[in-house]
Amino acid sequence: MNAFFYKEWLKNRWFYLLSAAFSLLLCLYVTLNLHRLCNLRGAAHFWEAALTKDAIFIQLLHYMPLLLGIAAALVQFIPEMLQKRIKLTLHLPCNYFYSIGSMLLFGLCMLCCIFLLNLSALGIALRSIFAPEIVSRILLTALPWYLSGLTAYVLCAWICLEPNWKRRVLNGIVSACVLRIFFMSDTPEAYNRFLPILAVYTLLICALPFISVERFKTGKD
Amino acid sequence: MKHKSILLLAAKAVLTLTTCVLICWIAPWLYHFATDRTHRTPFTLYSSVTGEFASIVHENGQNSYIGQSGQRYTEAQFDSILPMFYYRQLIADERLPDTLFGQAINPRTIQTENFIFRTMPAEVNKKTIPLYPLLESMSGRVDLEMPSDVFRITGKGIEFIDMESNRTDTAKSRLFTDALLRKGFAFPAQIVSGNGTTRKEYDNGYLLTDSSHKLYNLRMVQGRPYVRKIDMPDGLIPEHMFVTEFRNRRWIGFIADNRQRFWVLETGTYQFRQVELPPFSPSNTSMTIIGNMFDWTVILENQESGMLIAIDAGSLRKIKTMKTAQPTLTVAERIGEKIPQLRFLSPLDKKVFPYFN
Repeated sequence: MNAFFYKEWLKNRWFYLLSAAFSLLLCLYVTLNLHRLCNLRGAAHFWEAALTKDAIFIQLLHYMPLLLGIAAALVQFIPEMLQKRIKLTLHLPCNYFYSIGSMLLFGLCMLCCIFLLNLSALGIALRSIFAPEIVSRILLTALPWYLSGLTAYVLCAWICLEPNWKRRVLNGIVSACVLRIFFMSDTPEAYNRFLPILAVYTLLICALPFISVERFKTGKD
Repeated sequence: MKHKSILLLAAKAVLTLTTCVLICWIAPWLYHFATDRTHRTPFTLYSSVTGEFASIVHENGQNSYIGQSGQRYTEAQFDSILPMFYYRQLIADERLPDTLFGQAINPRTIQTENFIFRTMPAEVNKKTIPLYPLLESMSGRVDLEMPSDVFRITGKGIEFIDMESNRTDTAKSRLFTDALLRKGFAFPAQIVSGNGTTRKEYDNGYLLTDSSHKLYNLRMVQGRPYVRKIDMPDGLIPEHMFVTEFRNRRWIGFIADNRQRFWVLETGTYQFRQVELPPFSPSNTSMTIIGNMFDWTVILENQESGMLIAIDAGSLRKIKTMKTAQPTLTVAERIGEKIPQLRFLSPLDKKVFPYFN
């Protein structure tokens, strides 16, 4: 597994380093901008907006994790498919359950690290302005966005690894509908009760790319 | 090999489940999208002049003014039978009477006594941040000002947090905690209800229930705490409280209790008076009260049905009731009502969670 992780790191390190830098810069921009506005208009104005108008101040990050998840899968799996490297991977003297599983696990771990960094940075920066009640509301509101990033990564890998174009389109439609569920409400903390179910579901759909790999292996082109 | 087949089996099961869920969600939604029409609910008020409800019904692109018994009115007649609601039109037409039911009326008294109260399940059930601004109730100024701090109630006391510095004001917190403890308040609070806004004419502070369901009114007067313990009738356990700050200053708030009764809490005497309404729970039924000095029109609506109740403003007894007119559904809409649909957005609390309609 370590060898696979190392291989994936060599292939994708620039993408993940850039993604981490980009997402952290975006978080930094959002929070620095908020700090600047607090200095201009007073923090009380923003506390009131959070308490009475459901403001969460980080709307700019709404689709960022989703796009990162999609980009991570595309960067990792499209070259594999285009350059037929996936065939080589599947012919390695080990079960594809381990090889493809390691590749997926690597992507998920990297995304988790980036997302945790993002949420920690946001938490620390926001805590200097707001009470913990407001900070936890903002982070809980952002959690489904980040979870959608992980789901998007797995679903996109499922589509990329699928050998047949018609099936790819069908998989794409199912994926789009699934991802829509993560963006059904702008109300803060609307997903609190649903989040554990979504998290378990994200774990379960990690099995989907193996259907595509099996189809690839059996030559269903 | 065995692992691989189990994994593939699990993957196919997840895909089947996902597809089923998506079909249950999207197929009925598409059907409703194609067949549902918007239905206008007629605007209805109780008229003390005619002693019955009167509605504005939108028919064939025009408004019709119809009494409960079916009598049709002109627009000018409709203004006359609802003088408290259309008083501005009556003033413009120089048709506002100077007495009504033996009581002298003028625009000022009408304006003072008129009020509109609205509560919806989505607002009641919404998760709010447990931080509340406590306004100065007796600043001596006409306009209210937002305070520079907010309070939270913990298991040990009340804490004021200065918004600019994001630090706890320990002196103020101690002062208010001591005031509450002196009146027997048992921390933490169960319900904290108030209107932390300056968009009102005066401030009634907060209604709080403590851990043993005792009721208190908390205000800040000249920077000092004002805490009043309020005696409740036997068996009354507040479930939802709404602080009212209407112009007539008659009530501190409206209270819905655990037995689905509705009460008003009077200013000054702190007496409870029950309003003669059918069982009402704010968490699943919306309520609109359009009140004036003679009567209230109370509109109760939930997902299944709606009801209008006319209440005498003096005695708070029921005068008349009427069921909300149900819209006529097309065959396609009636079929649509019978199709179960998986939904994610609940109209009752704005939360996302799967449920079957």
